[in-house]
Amino acid sequence: MAVESKLSHTAAMILQAIHAGYGYGFSVMEVTGLPSGTVYPALRRLEQSDLVRSQWERQSAADAELRPSRKNYKLTRSGRATLDASQKRYPLLVKLIPSSEVENA
Amino acid sequence: MRVDLAILRAAAVLAPCRQRAEWLGEWRSELWYVRQSRGGSGATAFCLGAFKDALWLRRNAPHEEGSAVSRLESPVKCVLFLALLGAVSLWLAIRAPYTRVEGEPPLGELLIRLNLHALLISVLVLPAITSLRLGEYPENSHSPPLPTRLRRWFFFAIKIALIIQILSCAAVSLKLIQPYVWAVYLLAFRWALIDQRQRCPVCLRLLTNPTRIGGASQTFLEWYGIELMCAKGHGLLYVPEIPTSCYSTQRWLYLDPSWNGLFS
Repeated sequence: MAVESKLSHTAAMILQAIHAGYGYGFSVMEVTGLPSGTVYPALRRLEQSDLVRSQWERQSAADAELRPSRKNYKLTRSGRATLDASQKRYPLLVKLIPSSEVENA
Repeated sequence: MRVDLAILRAAAVLAPCRQRAEWLGEWRSELWYVRQSRGGSGATAFCLGAFKDALWLRRNAPHEEGSAVSRLESPVKCVLFLALLGAVSLWLAIRAPYTRVEGEPPLGELLIRLNLHALLISVLVLPAITSLRLGEYPENSHSPPLPTRLRRWFFFAIKIALIIQILSCAAVSLKLIQPYVWAVYLLAFRWALIDQRQRCPVCLRLLTNPTRIGGASQTFLEWYGIELMCAKGHGLLYVPEIPTSCYSTQRWLYLDPSWNGLFS
């Protein structure tokens, strides 16, 4: 079911960004250039569709770096399969957000 | 308080109560990163997106116990709530100062004079803002008897009558809303229609568990839209996203009693 589902280009870009290692909302905004009013509702929609899963990072890890803890998003198995289908549909997706660009994942 | 934080707090009011704390926590955490990267002006623009996110959550969150919607889920509670509003508005209309001034027409005449035009305008405009159709309820072997089916229309008539009573009395007592009372009628009638469409035709309770079915890109011999169910197991409601030849409007499916065990 999830493999067959077709995503909009925006949703596919967000999935690709998460897959590339941009795991929290603002980093997705930065890499995709999308505004906050688009990215955060899209993340919730993707989570509701079971394509991504969110998890708060451990407070101790954030404290060690003197920053607030953040909510990280990861692809689920069906999210990965949907992204594979989207990459075939939007071949430029991988070139737009290559995995190797991640510095602060 | 900083402007960006104030924006976030204002937007948080729109988020559902149960998810508000976590929602605000996520946005505040993200804001810290935005400030580090973009500074103050970027943070304000970032926070404005919170309204859209909170609204999305509000629209897609399941109804919370104790929320206004869940309190009006039962038809009896809905009618009682409207009746209470009706009693309050009648009391205010009777106590309104200018209804007791000599030379002013009696209350009954005032009610008709102030509301007749507003009612007519709202009824004429109503089809422009919402569909007047209440959906298809095709009969099958599990359909309830005629008196049960008529109860739905009786409930609808009571709601409309109470709305007219509430607003006509409110228009008399609150002079401020008199020029706009037609618009208030319009919104109230729209609510009555939407509420009626979302109720089970058997027990008249609000339907629950909205589930999205199908996709806009896959419509060949299929439909897409939202399916709702009656919590008591009386049936399912299919609401198409766009009217098609097979689903021109929402359609109800009566379930047979063997399904009851799954719902109770």
